[in-house]
Amino acid sequence: MAKILEMPKLSPTMEEGVLSAWHKKEGDAVAVDDLLAEVETDKATMEFRAFDKGTLLKILVAAGSNVKLGQPVAILGTPGEDLTQISPARVANAPPSPAVDPGPKTEALPAASSYAHDLPASMLPTPALHAREAAAPRVSTASPLDRTEHEPEGLPERQGDRVFASPFVRKQARELGVDLRGATGTGQGGRVVVGDLSALTGSAQASHAMVRAAPSTMNTGSAPAAPRLAEPEVRPLSMMRKTIARRLTESKTTVPHFYLTLDVDVEALVALRKKLNVELAQGEGATKLSVNDLLVKACALALVRVPEANAQFSPEAILVHRRVDISVAVAVPEGLVTPVVRDADKKSVATVAREIRDLAARAKAKKLKPEEMQDGTFSISNLGMFGIDAFSAVINPPEGAILAVGRVRDEPVVKDGQIVAGKRMSVTLSCDHRVIDGAVGAAFLAELRNLLERPVRILTG
Amino acid sequence: MTMRTLRYREALREAMIEEMERDDRVFLMGEEVGHYQGAYKVTEGMLEKFGERRVIDTPIAEGGFAGIGIGAAMVGLRPIIEFMTWNFGAIAFDQILNNAAKIRQMSGGQFSCPIVFRGPNGSARQVGSQHSHSMEHFFATVPGLKVIAPAFPIDAKGLMKTAIRDENPVLVMESETLYSVKGEVPDGLDALPLGVAQIVRPGTDVTIVAYSRMTHVALEAAVALEKEGISVEIVDLRSLRPLDEDTIVQSVRKTHRCVVVHEGWPYGGVGAEVSDRVQRLAFDFLDAPILRVTTRDVPMPYNAKLEQYVLPQADRVIATVKRVHNR
Repeated sequence: MAKILEMPKLSPTMEEGVLSAWHKKEGDAVAVDDLLAEVETDKATMEFRAFDKGTLLKILVAAGSNVKLGQPVAILGTPGEDLTQISPARVANAPPSPAVDPGPKTEALPAASSYAHDLPASMLPTPALHAREAAAPRVSTASPLDRTEHEPEGLPERQGDRVFASPFVRKQARELGVDLRGATGTGQGGRVVVGDLSALTGSAQASHAMVRAAPSTMNTGSAPAAPRLAEPEVRPLSMMRKTIARRLTESKTTVPHFYLTLDVDVEALVALRKKLNVELAQGEGATKLSVNDLLVKACALALVRVPEANAQFSPEAILVHRRVDISVAVAVPEGLVTPVVRDADKKSVATVAREIRDLAARAKAKKLKPEEMQDGTFSISNLGMFGIDAFSAVINPPEGAILAVGRVRDEPVVKDGQIVAGKRMSVTLSCDHRVIDGAVGAAFLAELRNLLERPVRILTG
Repeated sequence: MTMRTLRYREALREAMIEEMERDDRVFLMGEEVGHYQGAYKVTEGMLEKFGERRVIDTPIAEGGFAGIGIGAAMVGLRPIIEFMTWNFGAIAFDQILNNAAKIRQMSGGQFSCPIVFRGPNGSARQVGSQHSHSMEHFFATVPGLKVIAPAFPIDAKGLMKTAIRDENPVLVMESETLYSVKGEVPDGLDALPLGVAQIVRPGTDVTIVAYSRMTHVALEAAVALEKEGISVEIVDLRSLRPLDEDTIVQSVRKTHRCVVVHEGWPYGGVGAEVSDRVQRLAFDFLDAPILRVTTRDVPMPYNAKLEQYVLPQADRVIATVKRVHNR
């Protein structure tokens, strides 16, 4: 009996995924646990493996298709099996293959019969009236939804300046002077809908390209037309980029951030690190410690001492965590991910260092499991290695705080009334004010500074 | 004002009785309206009250008694013609389309046709493909006719009275599945204005336009959607022709999203008409395509499960509202 394979849930937050590559083709034999396809989820590229054995009879979505959870992607069965036995309504839920233009213009179906796509053949009035449906293989022509109730699943490819925006958005954009060119929205097929406007106008403050005053040529007809501007290079949003956009917009628009900055004297920390690395270099399977490794451990200990900073907001209560799981921001080519070092307070610095190395390497290879990027309680973002002195980070919801770390600076400092050469490092704590007040944030930073300035305590816990 | 709880069928009956008491020219005619007390008991007791002169049982000949009613209206009477269901009104389609709807215009106003055609419309429960038609879509396209489809007892009573007093043919689309629905009706309720829609549930996110039984389905969907944080405004049309485009457009200008829910097939029809008005009159306010939830495009199946599948249900309304709401 043929079986329809549906898009599985490959991460807890996955709602759709891009079926990026098929590893089997139609007619291939499939054994249990064979790799069928790769799926790009909102978190990582995941393997889609077979639960059953059989022959891959039919591929319903082409590689590169965006597929919703539970949508049929393929049919597994025995060769020669009659696929018409499979519920046409279910197969009809497969999204249109990207190779076929889903635009209504190219679908020459007679209007009346195109209503009947999601109905079993037995309910259609007469075969003659719907000869086209009867003759055509449903798998390839079926629309994902009842066409009388829904617009086509995807919009046509963007061409040139054409932006898909709702009429209401266009009106608002005209009134606000927002240029929609290049904008992509969250509506069907990337349509810009009214919910996207705040993001567009918000970023418009920063990006002069988004907001333009009405061109002066509008009023003075004799003035020469503005020179045509070069088109930007259009880089479609990856799943990761969409997730970053959605989550950080949500954070910066719904979480009331405030920022606390202080400078830490890291002379002792740098010296300790040097000493430890000399020792470690002589051991087996040498691990080199970075300032960041020591910092992650120090934060974990500071969070144990100031648990109010290791908390998150929920509508009914503040949740103070009983675990210290630190999300470490890792830059990858497509954006960034935040793998989590679990129970960082209970692990040795060397273990923390090894785990961070491993997580970062797998993040760059896109091989992190979704659960390795979830349920952190506090984040650290370090741009020291990029030469940044100091910055403020955006909180990684639902966490309550994030620490932004700058580089170690060699600079003149005042010590016992004398100007001497010293080492300083800036740390900025972004706090969710619903959870963490200024005094709590300051208490946490004081603990952290204490540890960093007397770094042996980081080793002794 | 004292309120009483009436069933939909009782509200219709009260309207007819009050108008017959008010105006001796009003009379009732149809199959089984008298001695049998009405196929759906809408006219129960009316024969006893008004006698055979004004409550007339007819043979099974819709074309005939519809035509007799139109003739009576042309010469000064005010008939109420009951079709046992609007499916049988199809037999009288020629009389309604070519005579009732045309005579005033064709006679240059020498004749008018103050007549009411009424009866249950749309699906009932498992009455098969030939007895489940939503006939309002056919009739609402005809200039010269007025078509109303009340959802609640108060509107059934108030609009039936208006229909009887109107100088033009008015078609009243009732519903077998609504006859037992109860609702508050004020004592002494007078005729309600015809052609005015009503917002039966205010909301901010999505406008649902519905009428007759589908208003109740929309309300069910709206309650479920509210729990998910989607606020639905429901416009109950009450009158399909004339259509209160102002109320619809005002609502969509506020919510920016519109879903139309009705029984009957998707090709053309009231939903398509509402969609046209909204896209024309509120184009710059739309944030999503106008979507419709209708009876699916097939003859009504007899099988109970298939019938429910084909009819618009709350879950389909919910899914469609979420779609226009980008959820």
